[in-house]
Amino acid sequence: MSAIASLFRNDYDADGFRTCSVTGLDVHRSVENYVKLFGLTAVIALAVGGSFAFSVAMTRWEFVGLLDPSGYYTHLSIHAWNLLIFWMVFMEIAVLYVGGPMVLGRKLPLRRLATVGWVTMVAGAVGVNASIWLSEAPNEAPLLTAYVPLPVSPWFYGTAIVFLLGATIAALPFFATIWSETRDSRRTLPLVAFGAFVTGIVAVEAILGGIAAFAYAFAWRVDLIAAVDPGIYRQLYWIVGHGTQQINLLAMITVWYFLTHVVGGAVVISEKISRTAFILYLFFINLGAAHHLLVDPGLSAGWRIWNTSYAFYGAAFASMIHAFAIPAGIEAGRRRRGQGGGLFGWLTSAPWRNPVFAATIFSIILFGFLGGITGVVMGQIQVNMTWHNTLATVGHFHATVALGTTLAFFGLVLFVIKTMFRRDFVSDTLASAIPYAYGAAMSVATLMLMYAGILYGVPRRTAEVVRNIPGSEFNLSAAIPIFMIFGIFALLAILSGVLFVGVSVGSLLFGDRLAAGDDGGMLPEGGLHADGGEPIHAVELRGTFALCLIFLGVFVAVYVLNWYLLTQLWAIGA
Amino acid sequence: MTDTSRTNPLTQLGSIVRRAWRDFLSVYYANTPVWRWLKSGALVFLGLFLWMGGNVLLAYWTDAVAVRYALAYGFVLIAWGPLTHLLVVPVVIRLRRTAENPTVRRIVRHGSKINFATFLVIVAVVGTVAPGVMLLDFSSGFGTDGGDVTAELVCETDGDPITCELETAEGVDHVVLLAGGEEVDRSDEPPYAVSAPRDALSEGPSGSQFVIELRDSNGETLRRFVRTV
Repeated sequence: MSAIASLFRNDYDADGFRTCSVTGLDVHRSVENYVKLFGLTAVIALAVGGSFAFSVAMTRWEFVGLLDPSGYYTHLSIHAWNLLIFWMVFMEIAVLYVGGPMVLGRKLPLRRLATVGWVTMVAGAVGVNASIWLSEAPNEAPLLTAYVPLPVSPWFYGTAIVFLLGATIAALPFFATIWSETRDSRRTLPLVAFGAFVTGIVAVEAILGGIAAFAYAFAWRVDLIAAVDPGIYRQLYWIVGHGTQQINLLAMITVWYFLTHVVGGAVVISEKISRTAFILYLFFINLGAAHHLLVDPGLSAGWRIWNTSYAFYGAAFASMIHAFAIPAGIEAGRRRRGQGGGLFGWLTSAPWRNPVFAATIFSIILFGFLGGITGVVMGQIQVNMTWHNTLATVGHFHATVALGTTLAFFGLVLFVIKTMFRRDFVSDTLASAIPYAYGAAMSVATLMLMYAGILYGVPRRTAEVVRNIPGSEFNLSAAIPIFMIFGIFALLAILSGVLFVGVSVGSLLFGDRLAAGDDGGMLPEGGLHADGGEPIHAVELRGTFALCLIFLGVFVAVYVLNWYLLTQLWAIGA
Repeated sequence: MTDTSRTNPLTQLGSIVRRAWRDFLSVYYANTPVWRWLKSGALVFLGLFLWMGGNVLLAYWTDAVAVRYALAYGFVLIAWGPLTHLLVVPVVIRLRRTAENPTVRRIVRHGSKINFATFLVIVAVVGTVAPGVMLLDFSSGFGTDGGDVTAELVCETDGDPITCELETAEGVDHVVLLAGGEEVDRSDEPPYAVSAPRDALSEGPSGSQFVIELRDSNGETLRRFVRTV
């Protein structure tokens, strides 16, 4: 118990502030302790969800075929809720507290509300897990979507609402900070605080949609209303179903700007352009959720085309801006410090042994190439037809969430261990290996999911299809080689996740305490603010330009190939 | 006097190409541990993409020789990319500095060219031979598993009791009617007619429901139908 209590101790002045030896920020005890609390809770959710990743992956890898269908749905539901929702949302509340009061050098206001929010979220998360695990016939495990009229336990809908209410309460201290900071001032928020603020707004939209959807289903399950309209539920559900993933996206990009600056020496090449991209997200990103409804009846062609073609590109454009701005910021920052000879010298000389830097950069690269490109391809009305409800969709959101956001949050957790818990890693070698091992293994597993879905049409959400579809003459055994690769790399990815949890918990419990003023090896060569150098606009960004050309080439190749595959569908039955 | 090197497009193009080639070589020979892994990882991804993409295109363009060699390129690259950047390039760089034997020095001076030529020869051989392990099968398993059943279930659910039978059934040993997980009726002879009183049915999300299961002689379920009244 004293070991846990010691995790929340640091040397503060009489007002409860201390100056961070890495970021130079004035950090108040209240902010730091709540960031730690939400971060630790998130890692517990990660460990729970990650444990169920094993049984889920070993069932879909039919060579092992671990679970029967009913067990599979239960395990898949717990895997999805803990990793897509609880791990993410607890971390995102921590990101809001970092992006708000910590960056602005303020105390955390409304601390009791923050506590109430945390308790409510934990109660909701435990309740959701219990209601899924204890589901009995005629109730079914809900998966992530809990589509009505699937008979799902009312306890599930009730506790999911409790969790969402808790997240709303926990976000209030952040909004109060922004309000206090801006009400009497014309000063613009720093970019990281601005990104966190937009993240908060998108989160509120998502949560309101979620409460509406689950309250509607809950009312039906407890017989307050006689019937539900599945079409309305699905519209409401996807406000939170995809909205939560958009929170992940915005929180992740905010973390990218923050960590590339602190540990990589990046600068912001244009604040206005980066802020514009965040505002584009505010208007357009949630419309991307419409691709979940593209095969639903009752929606007009105009609605589909507007949301998944025209409006959707507003969000894609914003992503392109960030995809250029962040690597360009790293290149400009490092070249100004004289750390960038040749085309990619600024990357070659970067602190690749620092797991925070490596995790952040792999998050950017793998999110962009695997999650971003496939998101734009599958999110539009036409090509979506070949992706819909196949494992390729699962591959896409593993690329965005399990690779992009999770790697960024891995980096953030490791950063918090050094800068807020003030602990050294229990092993620098193992810590450095985390982003490489996890990034590589999860990337291959993710690619195999996409290939199985797009090339073979293997469906999602089913326990058994490849070797045998009970009662059918049809099987997808041609995809077995893909699943052999998937199974091996899924196991390696899970082991890499175990390595992350082990290093994190081990460092907290057994890591040496860092001395005051020790940056723990987090700062780039030359410190956080290097002196001198050229003005940003005089720095040549040809390395970033070359990377963007490579990205464009891959994008075009994937786009053309997907359109070609779509045109071939008409050959079926000909 | 005019500076033609600034205005001649061909000269400018040549300058861009030379610079791009130098940049390419600097990346190729980047030899820090992290860059070895980054280059190897990138080539594995390129290899996987070419292998998978080539296979799917070959399924449509069965006579496209160029596609077969492209997918062979990707297939070999999955192994040869890491081999090159984790082993060959570091060894070549080290031996260029340290080797004293004249024969070894001559070989390592051209080490990268020899490595690339070997790679291309292997690609040519693999593309020509097209071994089965490289080619993915996109044919469906339709009709290949003779153990499955085809059956058409016809039910009369307006009256009481409800009744069902199979109009066509191959490979079925017996049929059972279940309600609430309990067996209500069983039939062992074609047309496998089964029935149940309405009040024996269980409540589902959309009304009363029952389940018909087609089973083999071992009692294994071959096919399941869920019907709502």
